[in-house]
Amino acid sequence: MKNDLENTIKIFHGPQHPGITGNMSVELDLLGETIKRAQTHVGYLHRGFEKLVERRTVVQAFTIVCRICVPEPDPNEENFARAVENLTGLEISEKAKYIRTMVLEMQRLATMFLWMGGQAGSIGLGLIPQWSVCDRDYMLDLFEELTGGRVYHMYAFPGGVRRDLPEGFLSRLSDLLDYYEKRIIVYNNTFFDNIIFKKRAIGVGIVNADDVIKNAYVGQVMRGCGIKKDVRKDMPYLMYDKLDFDIPVQSDGDVYARALVRRDEMLQSIKILRQIIKQMPSEGDILQKIPKHRKFKLPADDTYVQTESARGAMSYYMAGDGSEKIRRMQVRGPSLVHAYTLLEKLLVDSQLSDVAMTMNSLGICPPEIER
Amino acid sequence: MAIDVKGVLSPLSAIGTLFEHPKTITYPAVKKDIPLGYRGFHINNLETCIGCASCEEVCMNDAIDMVHPDIEYNIKNTSGCVPRIDYGRCCWCSLCTDVCPPDSLKLDNICTHADSNPDNFLYMPKNHKSIGEEVS
Repeated sequence: MKNDLENTIKIFHGPQHPGITGNMSVELDLLGETIKRAQTHVGYLHRGFEKLVERRTVVQAFTIVCRICVPEPDPNEENFARAVENLTGLEISEKAKYIRTMVLEMQRLATMFLWMGGQAGSIGLGLIPQWSVCDRDYMLDLFEELTGGRVYHMYAFPGGVRRDLPEGFLSRLSDLLDYYEKRIIVYNNTFFDNIIFKKRAIGVGIVNADDVIKNAYVGQVMRGCGIKKDVRKDMPYLMYDKLDFDIPVQSDGDVYARALVRRDEMLQSIKILRQIIKQMPSEGDILQKIPKHRKFKLPADDTYVQTESARGAMSYYMAGDGSEKIRRMQVRGPSLVHAYTLLEKLLVDSQLSDVAMTMNSLGICPPEIER
Repeated sequence: MAIDVKGVLSPLSAIGTLFEHPKTITYPAVKKDIPLGYRGFHINNLETCIGCASCEEVCMNDAIDMVHPDIEYNIKNTSGCVPRIDYGRCCWCSLCTDVCPPDSLKLDNICTHADSNPDNFLYMPKNHKSIGEEVS
């Protein structure tokens, strides 16, 4: 091993690299094409979201949390809103709960399409990113109509949501789901069943169930090796206890198994959204009356909330001290454990060409690490 | 070793998309419709703006300054000031419009601006009574 490392060459995969999942880099020691050591580096973002939140009032802080993960801001907004509601005792209406559940599932679909593009692009299947980013944009169009923003929605607010559903929105969503169901069949043929993807992904980046339990890996990494856990089922929030859906699992634990879990989760999200469209109440307050922003004070108490994001469980710890500012907020997303404990281990003895593919399969989002 | 025939042949179904209608639009000849509720540039009904500076206070990015306009639009505007937005700092969160007591400040669905002079990004919202309607 020591001799191997002496003969290696060092390269940096990222931060300026199309195969990297954001503002981070992986330092690789290579012997030929084989990776002998991998080290994850972050520090390119210079944000510090937790401290930024602590310097602002509750009302001002909600616009920051969506920036913790660009591809999927809504689980962060949901966690923040629910944590403040827990602390202040705000009760939100059933309609607001349904709308928030709908937004989370819409976001899950949009994130999955973006992931699919990254995953296929990382192995040179250039057509799939073109299609999947286009299909994601149809969902962003609906977000634009509902929230006023395509990427940063700033929509879920302590006490409900900021806007009501536009006229005919649910029918347009239903049409889009019909389209997505057809598209997933196309993606099955061109990507998931594609022999190139299978040859590249099967048996690469294998995670076993013991490691998952020991290191608290979440999301598709966990479900890809047969552990049937999901926050939406285990600790139901919003309206998930009234919705019928399954938790897809695979047993192999490799990159391909994680991809299949994601594909099945997309179908489950469509199933959930169809139920929401049927069950959406026509009446109900969308936002409870809340104090003005200087008078919106958090009690001296703390809370812990969890949301199942498209990449795994996303948790917030929040503490108040009786003032209008948040005393402490701590974010725990899937990225930290996946990018450090898992990725560094998975890359050892794998090939250089598999780095981007393995990284994409783990759902890493660097702002969550530099929180 | 068996050949995965499905895995080889099924991706070829992508050839069928060659005969589909393109999904892209020929921008700028064809422009995308922007929905009415889009969070674009600010507009302000200066005849109802009371110059209370609630928008300035809630803005977490300090993007709003209260400045004196050239002429007086509203005699009830006791401070005599109206908001000016720094689009180098604004994050279009729309909190300023949420807290506006007379509901005069709004976000329009216009969202493109190009200028060689950076000072023009200090933007004084135009006098609008409602979205899409400008008052001279």
